Amino acid sequence: MKRIRLTPLFFRRIHKWVGLILGLQFLLWALSGSVMALLDKDKVGGHDAGVSHAHALPEGEYFDVAALPRGDKVTGLLLRDLGARPVYELSTSKGTRLVDAISGEDIRVDDEMARNVAAMMNEAPIRKVSLLAKPNLESRDHAGAMWRIDFRDGENSSAYVSLDTARFLVMRGDTWRTWDFFWMLHNMDYVNRKSFNHPLIIFVAFGVLWLSGTGFYLLFKSFSRTDFRWLRRRRKTVTQTALEN
Amino acid sequence: MAIRWPLLVRRTHKWLALLVGVQALLWTLTGLYMVVVHIDTIHGDHLVRAPVVEPFDLSGGLAPPSRIVAAASGASEIRLQRLFDRTVWRAETPDGPQLFDARSGVLLPALTAPQIREQARRIYTGDGKIVSVRLLTSAPQEMQSRKPPYWQVEFAGWNRPTLYLSPTTGELVSRRHALWRVFDFAWMLHIMDYDERTDVNNTLLRVATWSTFAMSLMGAWLLFWSFKRRKRKTA
Repeated sequence: MKRIRLTPLFFRRIHKWVGLILGLQFLLWALSGSVMALLDKDKVGGHDAGVSHAHALPEGEYFDVAALPRGDKVTGLLLRDLGARPVYELSTSKGTRLVDAISGEDIRVDDEMARNVAAMMNEAPIRKVSLLAKPNLESRDHAGAMWRIDFRDGENSSAYVSLDTARFLVMRGDTWRTWDFFWMLHNMDYVNRKSFNHPLIIFVAFGVLWLSGTGFYLLFKSFSRTDFRWLRRRRKTVTQTALEN
Repeated sequence: MAIRWPLLVRRTHKWLALLVGVQALLWTLTGLYMVVVHIDTIHGDHLVRAPVVEPFDLSGGLAPPSRIVAAASGASEIRLQRLFDRTVWRAETPDGPQLFDARSGVLLPALTAPQIREQARRIYTGDGKIVSVRLLTSAPQEMQSRKPPYWQVEFAGWNRPTLYLSPTTGELVSRRHALWRVFDFAWMLHIMDYDERTDVNNTLLRVATWSTFAMSLMGAWLLFWSFKRRKRKTA
């Protein structure tokens, strides 16, 4: 067996072969990183969906909480404002129930209510309302059934509203959709677009480290004094002109 | 004179690499760290216990919500929860969260330092000793945009686990540890925002990323050219 000699040629070979096998992903990382840096993060949005309009609860009598459970085990109870009408959100062993906090009647989150909730987040006209049994790619950070409200605006925005609680979940637009495609290329989770801790990306990231590592090393081997001659020559002419003046 | 493409591309590849070489190396290094250490670990999920879900008894004796709404001016949401083993109403007000005794409806005072200690002990999953307990009124870098005040409870251990608790409710605001801090530093290097560590649209990053893209594109061209040339030679 030939002994491996750590010569520049050896590193150049590593650079070339790793480049052949994993170079495409490096290129895609550079491209997707470039695009994500270019897309305005405020237009991409989505990271701070918690900014919804919270009205103060009105003072006065509320429906008796003792009458809420109806035999179910209550694991959570909260009172909040839903578009200027107070509601109880009751979590039980059987799921979440939304109850009118004044009359005590159950509330079903219908498309009309979903529209109203979404309209608080976007003033554009609504184009379409649809019901999803489970989250799609755009609303993947949330769980459960939900309404999707599509707006007629420049961004083709879609709002997602929870079917159980009528809470606004998230707003997605075309800028986010573009961003998300490149984010998928970046995190290499082509199915769920969510995880960046899977074996494939760990393997490729480790391999690409050899590409950038050898490349960095080769920088020191590829440049010679002559490459920087133009710098010195210019500096010389500058000093010469300075002297002559 | 005809342009000698391979030479031109090789030169450009080389000079662009000189421009972005350090950053490309940093990207792959920080990227490797971020993909290897699982994000749940970074978030510190393993440091804290999930609250035990125990059913609430609504059958009587609770202060009615109307009394809490009247007492907590401007509250946008009130909810039942537990502090230690006592049931409380928690009101979200414009001045931050407040707690009321769920039976008497009386406003509860802010937690004391010993109470914060006990609360931190209950939340923390490890068994390291508490090193320090401090009430912070200005945000440390690692709390980013989270608004103080909060209690900072540091535990002993190689990864220096730190819990941040709300002074009025004792709730966990956030948790930090060494792996998170390294991640945050790696993220800073990755997005090249050395001040706030949040701006992914800064000009430096944009120039560096597109230059790197151009560099790798030329690298790819050189690769195919060099393999093709070899084939032509052998033929």
